[in-house]
Amino acid sequence: MPTEILDIAVFTTLAALVATIVMLPPGIGLAWVLARHQFRGKAIVETLASLPLVMPPVATGLMLLWLVGRRGPVGRALAPFGIEIVFTPAAVVLAMAIMGLPLLVRTARAGFEQVTKRYEQMAETLGARPWRVFTTVTLPLASRNILAGALLGFTRALGEFGATIVVAGSIPGRTRTLAVGIYTYTETGQDTRAAALLAVSVTLAFGAALIANRLAHVD
Amino acid sequence: MLRWWATFALVIATVVPLPAQRPEVLVSAAASLADVMGTIARIYEMRTGTRVVVNTGASNTLARQIAAGAMVDLFISADEAQMGTLRDEVVANTRVDLLSNQLAVVVPADRPRTLRSARELTDAAFRRIAIGDPAAVPAGVYAKAYLQQLGIWPAVSGKIVPTASVRLALAAVENGAADAAIVYRTDLDAAHRTSLALAIPLAEGPRIIYPAAVIRSGRNREGATRLLAWLRGTEAAGIFKGAGFIPLGQ
Repeated sequence: MPTEILDIAVFTTLAALVATIVMLPPGIGLAWVLARHQFRGKAIVETLASLPLVMPPVATGLMLLWLVGRRGPVGRALAPFGIEIVFTPAAVVLAMAIMGLPLLVRTARAGFEQVTKRYEQMAETLGARPWRVFTTVTLPLASRNILAGALLGFTRALGEFGATIVVAGSIPGRTRTLAVGIYTYTETGQDTRAAALLAVSVTLAFGAALIANRLAHVD
Repeated sequence: MLRWWATFALVIATVVPLPAQRPEVLVSAAASLADVMGTIARIYEMRTGTRVVVNTGASNTLARQIAAGAMVDLFISADEAQMGTLRDEVVANTRVDLLSNQLAVVVPADRPRTLRSARELTDAAFRRIAIGDPAAVPAGVYAKAYLQQLGIWPAVSGKIVPTASVRLALAAVENGAADAAIVYRTDLDAAHRTSLALAIPLAEGPRIIYPAAVIRSGRNREGATRLLAWLRGTEAAGIFKGAGFIPLGQ
């Protein structure tokens, strides 16, 4: 495999991995809140959390670009610290995390809903504080779904294109991912390179989706 | 636990943006230039020691990124309209017409045919004609303008298949989904199962311009100005010509 193709494959996998780690805390938190709490505006939070799943990825990308661009609210706040997001690997991770989050939240939420409340109550009667109940009872019981959700989020991140090309661009060796690379190579007629990336992409996605499906369906 | 955190820190460190160590020039170039700009970047770095980083994409996407404040030093657009949307972002008096291109009609290689004029596209043998979406893709805008100029747009508009990019119009002919496509002459070198039916003469076809300009929000204005001057010089002209583009020079 040419180093260029290998670099893109390794970078994409690494970025998707970091995106998955980044989306885990908010994803698990959100899933738990949605599974266990009733509050005003819950429907709105629920809808917002699944928005990246149903919106065109390019639209999500444009919104992110507006947010983190140097003229956007987040971009302006970060500028004094010399932090630039657009066109950096951080933008790749951001796009991937946002696009993968809804899949993680949905799957993890189903997991939390399946946890029998009685076990949690038992832990409480034994004197465990809420945080300890969560980390030693709820989380382990829902772990299979969380893992499946994380893997689904990871697969979504691996294939992310629309939002990535808008906020991160297609810079070889810096922000070019598998999906963006396939697009760029196809646009310039470099079919052999596009085919090589395609093969890598299919292999990675196949493996990850296979594991995710097994985790989600086997009890 | 410590080892886990160390791994995590390492992974984060690889993706967190760091300020550029040495001055480089960030160029946003239209997708059709991706290949040739890669060559340009390599040679320019060899000649001057300045690193050129090339970001490619559809011209309208690149324009949106610049409008959002992306720190691009130099922008090369595939059409004048997208450059025109950035009037406030461009450094005054730096915009130049860098390159030109030519339209071409291609047909499937297994049914080769030579046309004397694009007027023959009204022929019943051409049931589907692929062009880039005239609403968004520059190549499609040019193709539609040319068909209108010939006065055959009303006759062929029912046969037009708009595609999301000029490459997809070419692909439609390659895989037999369309009987003809109007693409750039430069797209042809990469095409395998297509055959050139007609190269639309430069004088007759629409004026296809790739404008370039230095962008105000860039970090390296001086570097961008120097690179732009080099792009208009003889060595770059040779590289562009080799890729099928028409350098417009000084």
